[in-house]
Amino acid sequence: MSSLSILSSPISRERLRRFVPFFVLVVTLIVLFNAAPGLMRWRAINSLMMDNAPMLLLIIGSTLPILIGCLDLSVAAMASLAAVSGALLSPMLGSFAGLAVVAGASLIGALQGYLIGRMQIPSFVMTLGALGIFNGAALALTGANMVGIGSGMWLFDSLAGRNFGISNMFLLVLAVVICLQVMLRFTRMGRNIYAFGSSELAVYVSGIRRDLVRSVAFGISAGCGALAGLMMLSQTQFANATIADGMLLPALVGVVVGGTAISGGVGSVVASLIGGIIAVLLRVGVTISSMPPSSQDIVFGVVILVAVALTTDRQKIGVVK
Amino acid sequence: MTIALSLHGVEKRFGDVVALDNVNVSLHEGEVLGLIGQNGSGKSSLMKIMSGLYRPDGGEVRVGGKVVQLRSPLDAGRAGIGLVHQEQSLIGSLSVAENLFLDKPAAYARWGSYRWTAMKDEARRQLEKVELDIDPFTPLGDLSFGERQMVELAKVLTLEELVDGHLVILFDEPTAVLNPPEIEALFSQIRRIKHRSSVVFVSHRMDEILDISDRVLVMSDGRNVAEREKDKVNVDELYELMVGKQRIDRVARRPRDAHLGSSRVLEVENMSVPGEVHDVSFSMAPGEILGVIGVQGSGAESVLRTIFGMADRWSGSIRFDGKPLEIDAPSAAVARGIGYLPAERKTEGMVRNTSVSENAAITFGWQHAAGPGMVSRRREKAPIKDWVAKLAIKTPSIEHQIDLLSGGNQQKVVLSKWLLGNSLKLLMLDHPTRGLDPGARADLFAAIRELADKGLAILLVGDTLDEVLSLSDEIIVMKDGMISAHIAQVQQSPPSEEELVRAMV
Repeated sequence: MSSLSILSSPISRERLRRFVPFFVLVVTLIVLFNAAPGLMRWRAINSLMMDNAPMLLLIIGSTLPILIGCLDLSVAAMASLAAVSGALLSPMLGSFAGLAVVAGASLIGALQGYLIGRMQIPSFVMTLGALGIFNGAALALTGANMVGIGSGMWLFDSLAGRNFGISNMFLLVLAVVICLQVMLRFTRMGRNIYAFGSSELAVYVSGIRRDLVRSVAFGISAGCGALAGLMMLSQTQFANATIADGMLLPALVGVVVGGTAISGGVGSVVASLIGGIIAVLLRVGVTISSMPPSSQDIVFGVVILVAVALTTDRQKIGVVK
Repeated sequence: MTIALSLHGVEKRFGDVVALDNVNVSLHEGEVLGLIGQNGSGKSSLMKIMSGLYRPDGGEVRVGGKVVQLRSPLDAGRAGIGLVHQEQSLIGSLSVAENLFLDKPAAYARWGSYRWTAMKDEARRQLEKVELDIDPFTPLGDLSFGERQMVELAKVLTLEELVDGHLVILFDEPTAVLNPPEIEALFSQIRRIKHRSSVVFVSHRMDEILDISDRVLVMSDGRNVAEREKDKVNVDELYELMVGKQRIDRVARRPRDAHLGSSRVLEVENMSVPGEVHDVSFSMAPGEILGVIGVQGSGAESVLRTIFGMADRWSGSIRFDGKPLEIDAPSAAVARGIGYLPAERKTEGMVRNTSVSENAAITFGWQHAAGPGMVSRRREKAPIKDWVAKLAIKTPSIEHQIDLLSGGNQQKVVLSKWLLGNSLKLLMLDHPTRGLDPGARADLFAAIRELADKGLAILLVGDTLDEVLSLSDEIIVMKDGMISAHIAQVQQSPPSEEELVRAMV
């Protein structure tokens, strides 16, 4: 039984739909490797995955708010803020700076989730506000300058290293995916997250704590965002207040290309990993096809529209807002 | 007599579920055809095909003898067919007038903006038809259920002006939420429009069907299985045609033989909810079934929702299971052992777009897991299948999507989520049989009795006097937020229905 089988429905068209992202991945790979056979090499793949580990992590984190039918627009801003905070804290805390940043970010995310329910603010408004706050805070902390980390710090060095020939960053991404997938599939919280995305009111009347579900989903997305920011810091040894700003759109593209429904209740982090890898390959494709970098965003914009159009079952949700 | 509308060999499938299987119906001009059948027998699908909401997978639809393709409700409207919806299709934030002409955009608009005066005059004319004397610019949300149902009817009757020739008006369970005077008003409207319309009328209440119909059509498992002239049939025979002999006997009243102790599981004292409930006190013993009745707005539902932690502001005190109940959310009520089956099945009861098993396990599935905070879909399977069998839930498998089941089966699945655990001490049922057919209702009654026999206290807000009378050990009648009568020992010395109605209004 596949990990997605909890969503099983008697309609085979629905089952087919779930494999669409997988087919897209295979097709993208074939096209890409025909165009640039050099990419087939292990080293190339490995460095591609390492370079894009922060983006994959953002995609995976963003999946949880979307699963509960919300949207977190602040993940990329959180990554920037985490990167500069990590750099500024590392002289004092050393490697523990990373831990402090991820924990702090998760708490801030959880608070966002709690406030959405308590203050009745739609999630995209709440997180848009948070995006502005995080950006401003990052700028204020750095004074609009680059901030760097010293060398020889265990955390950042080991992130840049590799094990079993695979980049540690990508291994970390896989570990996060596995943990979250296990959480979604085998815990009460996981069940509640899917149910919440399908019918929030019914979940409330079933005696489940809505604020807790929201806090967990947004806490995880902010935590993943912070981890992504730390990875970027370890890649470049420097951070500035806008380091991850361009990653919001690709992150959302990855989630929906993977087949997680923007309306909530359907999808998984494994699906998002596949969607993320497709998004990464798309970016590579745009680059090697010698399209100007400025057209990347156009490509991502088109892809998000097509993906949502293909993965949304309008018969199910009835209305589109 | 000429035939206004006929269906020939009509079929409709959803995936591998057959909703309609070779249905043949003909409707004469000026006739009222009563349509009965259990939940899931295909009544609603049939109405939706006749009104253009569904397109048949096979067979043909004829209007006035000619084969037609009804692709949308608009097409049906042009052919003179209108559906008065079961779940009201009106928009609460718009005025009555705007609602009336919502689907006829061209009629009272010029250059895309409304001609308000012309629309108001026309709306008043339309409302006069149904004898509704209200300002056409009243927001719809301010009207009562009965008034809204009349606006629904007026909206469909605008066809009288827009279409020449004969009309077909379809009513999908219009009386489910109406009180007796409102039902009488609706019936007089149906009799009035008969001169140029045919009517199809769906209801679960047999006496109503016999009152209003000229002919009765019985559906079962997606087929039309019987047809009776009104004069040649009685209520008992209709029941039998619908559900079969065996299940009727289970509906028959059987006195409960409960031995209730003097211990109290629930004690409510001086409960007041601003604007809804005023100074209500009562108590319950374990294993007791307490029925609460009252007309719409009597506050009975509010009492249940307050106990379940859903009221924002209330005063008074509740003791539950020996300790004060101080909670502000349903999660806290559930933690103390209280369950609640909401009246709004589709929005508050079902977790939509998920399977039967996920719905059944949502609240207490974790009790069957290996460790704290975990769930095990493998270990849950047996208890879920158990309840599916006990409640006679008709579903191809427990992995089937709940939305695809009939209303009665959906309700039983929602009930099962409270039964999957073993920590429940009080179960509150808010109109549990609303929209359920007699068979499903009998199954639900049997389940409720069995649960009470096992010591679960049941607080029930009923839909009909009959159901409260046949189930309850005690009855509370509510009126304007207060308790207007309290009847003990209902099974030993049942009160008359007249007595209860007098306390209600």
